[in-house]
Amino acid sequence: MTRDIPLTVFGGRLTVHVKALGDGDPLVYFHPAAGLALDPFVQGLAARYTVYAPEFPGTSAGDPYAVHQVDDVWDLVLVYEEVIRGLSAWGCPAVGASFGGMLAAEVAATFPDAFGRLVLLDPLGLWRADQPVADWVSAAPADLAALLYHDATAAPVLPADPAAAIEAIASAVWSTGCTGKFVWPIPDRGLAKRLHRIAARTLIVWGEQDRLAPVGYAEEFRSRIAGAEVAIIPDSGHLPQVEQSAAAQRAVTGFLAR
Amino acid sequence: MKLILFAQAPYQHLPEDFEHRFESAVTTPYSLTTAERVCAAYQDLMEILLHGARCGFDGLAMTEHSQSPSDMVPNPDLIASALAYVTEAAGLDVAICPVGRSLGKSREPVRVAEECAMIDVMSRGRLVAGFPVGLAYDACINNGIPPLAVRGRFEEGLDLVLRAWQDPHPFAWNGRHGQYPSVNIWPRPVQQPRPPVSITGIGNPRTMATTFERDLGFTYFGWFGANLTGGRVFERFWEIGERAGVARNPYRLSFLQTIAVAETDEQAARDYGRHVEYFFRKNLGALRPEMIALPGGIDINGVRALLRDPGDLGMVDKMRDATFDQLRAAGAVIAGSPETVRDGIAQFAAEYGIGNLYAQLSFGSLPRDLAMRNVSLFAEQVAPALRGLWAEHDHHWWPRRLGGAP
Repeated sequence: MTRDIPLTVFGGRLTVHVKALGDGDPLVYFHPAAGLALDPFVQGLAARYTVYAPEFPGTSAGDPYAVHQVDDVWDLVLVYEEVIRGLSAWGCPAVGASFGGMLAAEVAATFPDAFGRLVLLDPLGLWRADQPVADWVSAAPADLAALLYHDATAAPVLPADPAAAIEAIASAVWSTGCTGKFVWPIPDRGLAKRLHRIAARTLIVWGEQDRLAPVGYAEEFRSRIAGAEVAIIPDSGHLPQVEQSAAAQRAVTGFLAR
Repeated sequence: MKLILFAQAPYQHLPEDFEHRFESAVTTPYSLTTAERVCAAYQDLMEILLHGARCGFDGLAMTEHSQSPSDMVPNPDLIASALAYVTEAAGLDVAICPVGRSLGKSREPVRVAEECAMIDVMSRGRLVAGFPVGLAYDACINNGIPPLAVRGRFEEGLDLVLRAWQDPHPFAWNGRHGQYPSVNIWPRPVQQPRPPVSITGIGNPRTMATTFERDLGFTYFGWFGANLTGGRVFERFWEIGERAGVARNPYRLSFLQTIAVAETDEQAARDYGRHVEYFFRKNLGALRPEMIALPGGIDINGVRALLRDPGDLGMVDKMRDATFDQLRAAGAVIAGSPETVRDGIAQFAAEYGIGNLYAQLSFGSLPRDLAMRNVSLFAEQVAPALRGLWAEHDHHWWPRRLGGAP
């Protein structure tokens, strides 16, 4: 049973909708660029934890212009800090995927006591000129699956109902635009200078065949975060939690249980 | 009706199969060019526009593209300033209309205000400024602006430019996209209280509403096929105006149309057909849809509307292999004898209330001598029949020196 928790933050300018599922100890989940999907990976986390998944500003149904209240990564970090405190989840584990991984890392670097453990799944936020992160925002829809998945047939299919399909596309496109505001045109807002501040024990998970952010970035993150571990997931592209859900689940829950 | 000659600086010698091998912007390999042919494109552009001025066109227009062989003009004000000087020196009383200085793209709106003011000064009050929100690929990829930020940047830039032109005193500007401790541009425009402004758009209701709220003109480019899109877009425009309680004056509305005039309809097809095909196939036809619509650049409600009904995009998805006949049928081009062209434009303008025609008479691979003939034929045999249209209205979006009543 998913609950919706609306939290008004940022001096009353913004209401962040947090989806909550499960009933164990709290865990905060930071979703990827195209919006929150309560996929089997998230459901699996909810079997052990109370998963709090804040919807990125602008991506909640019926409130698309909330994104205009937030200007930069600094604003975002402060919004999420208020949200996590508002959930009484301060110090809990956090899991972030792709864009959400960047965001979780930014919060953890700014507030070193925000999370007890940190899991980053193919996070964005660093840039190497010899391994440029591919541009997913301007990619043709037909090319996107090949960019995101090792095996493009792993991509979720659109709803058969035309009206539902239009809604799904419009909302994924808008979510990509909302999150894109904070990483366009190069997903590097200086995170490399801040990662050393992260105090939480950190696991970096990477899809071995990630074509969006190549697996070489795993070492870039590991070397900047004290004590960080790396788990490489075979036969997976940029979204191991979708493409190899069970393997990603094992790596994450194993790390969090230790 | 005001008749303005519009021209671009396209690279005219792209390979036959270009549209099946390359994109027409952002990634196009420069190795396809020779320096001599690139140089010739600018000479042609200037000569064609000056020929238009000598033939009696009311204005000369150019726009902005970047990282593209379709139109190698990164800033229309560069061409406009050269024309401002030459036409003033030669005593040619034409409006100078840079229609494409995108304010959603520009990171230097104060410079835009100053450039435009300079053109107004050099032309002694003949500037008609045109500010589009911005093409997605150009603003976002060529210039690095997040798609979601383009419209906000446009609106802030427009406020800033209009104030920079008119505020007699230096002022501080604390914007969301730019901060300036003292805005005090030199020169200031000659036209008072400010030069006329038109906003270029492709049909977004919000852009249209902005023009009514601020009493600016609206310019629509008919490249998607005006027979398919024009009715929808123009009717929407006037409906929004009606809701805003604004009286209908056709001079608010400008329309850009690709036009090819010859002695007969058959001659037009023979002379212009393959050059029209070159223009559409190797320009819009070789552009991925994402290049004109990036996530965040179009409001979520706009995305829904486009997915349900992509009619505003006309025949853009068929441009890659479009034939002259298809392009003519869709209204992407009006081609034929002077009578055919005259009747087509007069009927379209009367039906939709178009007060300013931006006539694109050079396009694609059309050689300079054919372009010159197209300009001459239009000026001599088409223009006289159109000039009288809307004589009962005052033109509030046109320079006073040229008969406007701003």
